[in-house]
Amino acid sequence: MGAVQLVILGLGLVSLCLSIWAIRADAGLSWRFVVPEAVAPEGEPVFETVFDYTAETGQAHSPGILVREEGFTITWFEGSEEAQADVDIHYTGFERDTEGWLRGTTGLLVTRGGLARVMEPRQIVVTLGNTIENEAVRDGLYATVASVGGWAMASVVDVRAPGGQAVRGRKLNLSPVFGRSNLVKSPMVEYADGSHGLPAYFEMGSTFGVLVRLDKQGRARDTRRMDGFGKPIQPMVVPLSETRAVAFLRDFDPSRKLLVSRTEDGGQSWSRVEPMAVENPSSPVAALGLGEGRILLAVNDDGDRPEVLRLVLSEDEGESWRVLRAFEGEGALRYPMLRRLTSGEIVLAYSKGTKRGLVAHVFNQAWVAAQ
Amino acid sequence: MTGLGASAALAVLVGWVVFALLGWVASPGLSAGLGAVVGVLVVAMFRESLAVGGAVALLAPFGVMLPALAVRHVAVSLGVPMAGFGTWELVGFLVLYAVFLAAAFGVVPVDLYRFGFAPVPVAVMVLAVCAYGFVTGNWFLPLVAVLGQAAWVMGWGSSNWFDYVLHVVMWPVALVVLVGRIF
Repeated sequence: MGAVQLVILGLGLVSLCLSIWAIRADAGLSWRFVVPEAVAPEGEPVFETVFDYTAETGQAHSPGILVREEGFTITWFEGSEEAQADVDIHYTGFERDTEGWLRGTTGLLVTRGGLARVMEPRQIVVTLGNTIENEAVRDGLYATVASVGGWAMASVVDVRAPGGQAVRGRKLNLSPVFGRSNLVKSPMVEYADGSHGLPAYFEMGSTFGVLVRLDKQGRARDTRRMDGFGKPIQPMVVPLSETRAVAFLRDFDPSRKLLVSRTEDGGQSWSRVEPMAVENPSSPVAALGLGEGRILLAVNDDGDRPEVLRLVLSEDEGESWRVLRAFEGEGALRYPMLRRLTSGEIVLAYSKGTKRGLVAHVFNQAWVAAQ
Repeated sequence: MTGLGASAALAVLVGWVVFALLGWVASPGLSAGLGAVVGVLVVAMFRESLAVGGAVALLAPFGVMLPALAVRHVAVSLGVPMAGFGTWELVGFLVLYAVFLAAAFGVVPVDLYRFGFAPVPVAVMVLAVCAYGFVTGNWFLPLVAVLGQAAWVMGWGSSNWFDYVLHVVMWPVALVVLVGRIF
């Protein structure tokens, strides 16, 4: 045995020590979903429009909803045009008082320059896109960020922004191709051990949905794919039990169908993505589990008319749907987002006028039950 | 550490580019010295520039392998004895890495990249690289694999071990080396 072999044996020994350390430190992942509790309808049915905003110029698109103890915050990206180098993340807050929902502070939440300064490692940020709440930490966001090229070269960035100012940004490592091409759109999914899953999607030529599992430090710890029919993107995951969940996906191809995939093992594996009977003009959907197999869905369910957005309810885990309310406007009403507030009320936000502005409604369970 | 590591890796790569260009007209020693100086100066003085920020945005995470290959190339040029990569090793790497990248694009229906997140598969892969190095007498690959594992365990960069030992620009570089060797 030569000196080289002895050196390599030493390296192997170091590797063994590192492996033992890593295996002992690894907490493992729970694959049991937190199932949304059913909330009994209380009080009078309420449905109100709390936000109707049109950008003075350019586009305002893709709302996110950040749930706060005292209310909620709507975020969106705004600039001359989507994917251009003047797009930043804006926000406006809402708090309830005795008169109803009041619009509070409005401003810039994440700017390209501000995020570039706090990125680890430091790097340029050219444009910003879909942004959602990081529900695992306070004042956290997941932003879709492009530093080079368009959305196909985008990455998901874990942004920490206490007090509305970004203090740290770190790309999630989700792909070996320059860490690209991954984007976010839908809210996170909570697991029984307190960890979360982040629905994301790959969009560089081929497309597929991804459920990203995150560790306690917010770093990617595992990924599971949703692939099959068409070009599935923008998965929206709704847990139905501790182990079962349904994911609704947009078809990036013009199949005019909404796509679906299901899991029976807590998200470890997903059924082949298949088209549903529900039409869809290649638009993302928002969904919210209401417990006991009930799913609220905001969907463009007319394959030829993206200007029609319907709020529909299923009481049999997505097998059948009934319309609660239809929204119609000039230009497309797309990119819906649904979140349940700490009060049990539900916020629905979406883009209006083909990315020209945003609308947000707040309604309660009594309103849902009354439809 | 992520920022420091990225800056160091970028300095090495800039230095290597300078070394490679100067190598046409200057001695290896002078090229290496000037490359080291330019690499450090560029990163130290222009870290906030659009060009350097853009390079980091495009290439990060750099990992261990890419800068290690650059240093190795310089070392070999300076006469440091190192075991080279065989032609069949390059062919094997190109084929296996192509399959790996195809899997990342969903062309191959198995997500190979995700095995780099978990400690047990990483332990097996690093030991396999060590065993390969033991058999072939090449310490470079085991060294990179173990350094990558150490950085991965410490959380100094990517949460995926593959990002430390592979980089997508290695594929075209390996292809150019292979073509140059054959023709």
